[in-house]
Amino acid sequence: MTASGGRRLIAALNPAAAKAGLAPGMPLPDALSFVPGLVTAPADPAADRAALTRLAEWCGRYSPWTAPDETDGIKIEITGSAHLWGGEAALVADISRRLLRQQIAHRIAVASTLGTAWALARHAADAGAPALPTPQDERAALAPLPVEALRLDPDTVQGLRRVGLRHIGELYPMPRDALARRFGANGLENSVAYRLDQAFGDLPEPLSPLGETPSRRVRLSFAEPIADPADLARAIERLVEDLAARLAREGMGARRLALGFHRVDGRVEHIRLGTARPTRDPRHLAKLFTAKLATVDPGLGVEDMILAVFAAEKLEPEQTEFSPHPPAAGVTILPSPLAGEGRGGGIASLLDRLGNRFGLDAISHIEPRQSHIPERASIYVPVNGKKDAASTPSPPPGALRKNRLCRGPQKAAPPPPCGGGGDPGLDPGEPEGAGAAARSALRRIPSDSSCVSSGSRAPSTMLRMVPLPRSAGEEPSRRVKDGSPDKPPRPVRLFRPPEPIEAQWVLPDDPPFRFTWRRRQHRVRHADGPERIAEEWWIEDSAADPRASGDRVRDYYRVEDEEGRRFWLYRAGLPGDPPPRWFVHGLFA
Amino acid sequence: MSFSQVMRHDFPEEVPRPGRLAALRERIRHIEQPASHGVLPFGVAAIDRVLPDGGLALGAVHEILGIDGDEEDGAAACGFIAGLLARLRMGPVLWCVKRPDLYGPGLLAHGLDPARLVIVTAPRDEDILWAIEEGLRAPGLVAVIGEIGRLPLVAGRRLQLAAERSGITAFLLRRWRNSEEAARERERPSAAVTRWRIAALPAREVDDLRLRQLIGQPRWRVELLRCRGGVPAQWVVESGDVEVADATGHVRLSPELADRPAAPVDRKEGRLAAEPLQRRTG
Repeated sequence: MTASGGRRLIAALNPAAAKAGLAPGMPLPDALSFVPGLVTAPADPAADRAALTRLAEWCGRYSPWTAPDETDGIKIEITGSAHLWGGEAALVADISRRLLRQQIAHRIAVASTLGTAWALARHAADAGAPALPTPQDERAALAPLPVEALRLDPDTVQGLRRVGLRHIGELYPMPRDALARRFGANGLENSVAYRLDQAFGDLPEPLSPLGETPSRRVRLSFAEPIADPADLARAIERLVEDLAARLAREGMGARRLALGFHRVDGRVEHIRLGTARPTRDPRHLAKLFTAKLATVDPGLGVEDMILAVFAAEKLEPEQTEFSPHPPAAGVTILPSPLAGEGRGGGIASLLDRLGNRFGLDAISHIEPRQSHIPERASIYVPVNGKKDAASTPSPPPGALRKNRLCRGPQKAAPPPPCGGGGDPGLDPGEPEGAGAAARSALRRIPSDSSCVSSGSRAPSTMLRMVPLPRSAGEEPSRRVKDGSPDKPPRPVRLFRPPEPIEAQWVLPDDPPFRFTWRRRQHRVRHADGPERIAEEWWIEDSAADPRASGDRVRDYYRVEDEEGRRFWLYRAGLPGDPPPRWFVHGLFA
Repeated sequence: MSFSQVMRHDFPEEVPRPGRLAALRERIRHIEQPASHGVLPFGVAAIDRVLPDGGLALGAVHEILGIDGDEEDGAAACGFIAGLLARLRMGPVLWCVKRPDLYGPGLLAHGLDPARLVIVTAPRDEDILWAIEEGLRAPGLVAVIGEIGRLPLVAGRRLQLAAERSGITAFLLRRWRNSEEAARERERPSAAVTRWRIAALPAREVDDLRLRQLIGQPRWRVELLRCRGGVPAQWVVESGDVEVADATGHVRLSPELADRPAAPVDRKEGRLAAEPLQRRTG
């Protein structure tokens, strides 16, 4: 039942009602006069659509290219997959049998073009009698069908009928250009000539599949539906082995996969995963999938499992740490414990297992960045492979150059060039990953490309606004201790965002003598400071922390309370009015 | 060797019963624990002397606690662990946290290169436990650190077994949300091999009047609350550049030890000569 202009119309009906003379579009009062005891229910197009999409997904067992067609059909591209079922007829029989089991009335047609299949399924096929013309017979099969079968809009159909053209066959002898002139007014999609060409395959009509199309698929079907987790786990192992063998042949490793469980009742459950590095280790992949098996409800049983790879990357065969077989005795393979940027071979599978459970975003590395703002000087970079420059504002050219120079995590930052002029002895060479990051940052700088030219030492445009407590020429032990020779000590814990405190102080420039943090009062016994850290003016206020944004200047103090705990406090804003706000930003060990 | 032989040969009659029992336990411990993964000496004679085998057992679970207000954040404990990790062999370290408040430059100051860390952030204790255990089974890791609040005894035992099997050392940094949780959990027994408590101490007063207001070198009170096969003890540890007089009972963890393989134990023995402040018998 659907409502249209205040009238209630019949949207769809069952065969019994059709036999009684009812038809879609008939107003309800008329229908009730035909069949007084008519049972009706409101139409729910959204639910219908969802159900159709689900069914289309279920049809994924026949081919990866499936999609719902309008409101009442499903199209499946079976080119290349029919032979897996023993031919088209066998495939259709299988679909039909399974749909019947789900009590879904259906009509099936197979043809070499979408247009012909559409027409045959809706106007030639019958329940239990699928339309399966051979390619040569398709033209003849279309001929007796009504012109509606060409997917034309009602106006065009009306027009054709008015001139006496009722069947598709009657259009065959008509000159194409005349047809196009006469019945092409309602847009290309409704042009009779266009639709005819589509039906005959003279015009291509690609099928845009439901969702993403996988690059590789392996399928496993069961004669008897399985539901036991142990059986499912065994099936996963087999699927994964098949896939791994295929990936190994192609020299690829999977990055993003999905495992579909096609249930007897036509529903499809999925396990999706991403890996930190391309992998084709069957044991590892099987572990990842079985770890998530508990999230799958097999219902009354699973009759098909399809493992699909959506993203794959090149994986060199010599990466033997993924191999299920240990290297032969005498062959020593030195695993780099933290190869690349720390996503090392030995721990890659660990990262995958962790990422599988918590999401790859939950796993990160600490990376140093060249910034005076403490929360920007050391950031968390997720290991999921993408080097996002989005979270870190791009530094100005001068700072960028520095960034490239001193990115080595252990290397202490060289003393910053005060007022331009580089120090030629400082180039340690640039690590590969750092280079990539720097290059990606480079693209974001619109002008002033002087620093881009390789090797050129661009004059530094960075102004140093913080007084330098120490300068270069420190002995190594000091470097290790302080990490960075030009910076005062930094805390081991840093709160993001900084936590506000209530502080009492005597003189505007003084550190507080008492402060309250987390409802606990601390009396300050000693204090070091201030260390003034000013906003990096070249960076637009990206508001990493709304509370701290707008603090153009922060004066940091290292304070020790009576117990000996050490805090990193700062006063936001310059002393004076408005009254300064105090924060605790970190804790020293 | 049968049990009766142990009794006859190793325990003469004159040994008092409690002592005999303890020795027997020790013996059983040795039998039960065939795989030893070695120890990590602190490089400080005063501490190493107290620890069985002269150092922190590798391939074992160690608990590190904060004290008072620091039980929430474990800042001192974090610095202590960073110092220990710096002395372990190089390699990746898994650090499981509930909220990411570790700060790279600060860790570097304690000798730990933050580039070695793989940090996994998980919301709940159960997740952290799971992550630690996964880490302890992953070849290639050097150590796993878990910042964890609730630690059921069985879970701790599982971790200990996993650590023994793989030889990866686990440090459980106990971090409690509030004082109630701390009070509930603090006294619970655990399966860890050692339990430490690290407290920040006020810096020593400096004689120099000009420096009096300034912060001196940080000092910790390091308490060994429990140690399998050892006795509880505590020390005052000062890190920094200031020479520490022997008589005050301070030990100095020299920054030169940072991030290099464990040095032979008896370096600069004279300066490090220090007795534990007090010893309780366990």
